Amino acid sequence: MEVLRANKLTKVFGAVRAVDGVSLSVAAGEAVALLGPNGAGKTTTLHMLLGLVTPDSGSITIFGKDFARHRRELLGRVNFAASYVGLPGQLHPIEILNVFARLYGVARPARRVRELIELLELGSFARRPFRTLSSGQQTRVQIAKALLNDPGLLILDEPTANLDPDVADRIRTLLLELAAASGRAMLITSHNMAEVARMCDRIHFIAEGRIVASGGAVELASSYGVADLEEVFLKVART
Amino acid sequence: MNVSLSRIGAVMLRDFYSLRHNPPYLVEILFWPTLELVTWGCVSLFLATRNFPAAVAGLLGAVLLWQMTSRPQGDLARCFLEDVWARNLVNLYVSPLSTAEHLAGMVLCGLARVMASTAMLALLAWALYGFGVFTLGPALLPYVVTLLAMAWALGVFAIGLVVRFGGSAQAFAWLLAFAVQPFAAVFYPVSVLPGAVQAMAQAVPASYIFEDMRAVLAGTQPSGGRLAMAVLLDLVYLGAAMAFLYRGLRHARASGRLSRFYQ
Repeated sequence: MEVLRANKLTKVFGAVRAVDGVSLSVAAGEAVALLGPNGAGKTTTLHMLLGLVTPDSGSITIFGKDFARHRRELLGRVNFAASYVGLPGQLHPIEILNVFARLYGVARPARRVRELIELLELGSFARRPFRTLSSGQQTRVQIAKALLNDPGLLILDEPTANLDPDVADRIRTLLLELAAASGRAMLITSHNMAEVARMCDRIHFIAEGRIVASGGAVELASSYGVADLEEVFLKVART
Repeated sequence: MNVSLSRIGAVMLRDFYSLRHNPPYLVEILFWPTLELVTWGCVSLFLATRNFPAAVAGLLGAVLLWQMTSRPQGDLARCFLEDVWARNLVNLYVSPLSTAEHLAGMVLCGLARVMASTAMLALLAWALYGFGVFTLGPALLPYVVTLLAMAWALGVFAIGLVVRFGGSAQAFAWLLAFAVQPFAAVFYPVSVLPGAVQAMAQAVPASYIFEDMRAVLAGTQPSGGRLAMAVLLDLVYLGAAMAFLYRGLRHARASGRLSRFYQ
């Protein structure tokens, strides 16, 4: 079942064509990566899919509904985490999760918050101000927030950017387990090619606002005649 | 999608948590208004000794009622800006929270705060200067509602400025009520203002309320005409402020500014 379809999305900021005719889809249970150098248009694409940026042209369909017409309803079934987005620094993780559980209309918020605190091992710092947490702990809170409404589509913008290899690996494993168990669709951006190769079924490379290559990690490496995804990235970025 | 009480409650819960972790702000809610009350109270006592007996009630009534505009306007803007500063605005705008629900939550929090602080000030005014706010009689309720409506119109406009022009516009969020104060005739009648400024005061809902308050304290009945004019202006300004905010949000989504509030 197709969860997300973006068709010919275009966004121009002044003289800059940030996104130029991007089309992509994500099916239930599938993890899709959007890769590319800084400024390639990844984040703008994600922000259009989240309703933060209005596309100049193109269309977005989520769960079969037109996103432009059903934005708030669909946002209740989607969630998002990014390394660059903050949360209220004075609040404790348990409070942050309480607030967002209610924002997303979670049926039994206290129970869901307890589940996620356990799942993401937030217990030891659940009652400390968010701003005093390490970046790894903050990312785990962000991921917990993104899972609160058990979203059918999870959008992650560089989710493990601030994590040490151990925590990053555990987050990846958790996300993969959750995707496998729930049939959740995921759309991910990352600069960690090994992470993408491990997590994602399909990969889109984006450069100067356009998708320039698509396929599985092995397939892409083969078609570019290189050993791995890292080298594909370098070829795309330097072309 | 309908308005959700759960989402409005979530905005209030966020504000409650924020207040709970910020004791200096709790103190500040009472500190500045109390300072203002004491200052004007002393001025009015001095004027009373110079044969201006009505000054005590007029000035203290003005201080208490002006809280209904200055505090909620600043509170509304502060609630919104806290999420800008925390880089949390993006999280709110990718959730199902509507602008109306967001505003409703912030307005209700501000209402609770201003009621608590004004109750304390009213008690203080009675204890220190013998001024009872209920001297204003049944007109007190419409005065409060009308001044709150003006505060919210200013607060929504301030949020609209930040949304439209970015974080650099936040100085206006704090200054708007003070910018309006000279034209609101809070501590003096409109008639003492220069001619052109008098015309501007006619466009400020609070000026009708403070004129009426002074008249009531001087022993006349509240004027339905003044109240109606204040309500009418409030409705116009609330509508205009909401339209400005929604237009600002559309612009922020089109220009990409909304997604850059994390920077």
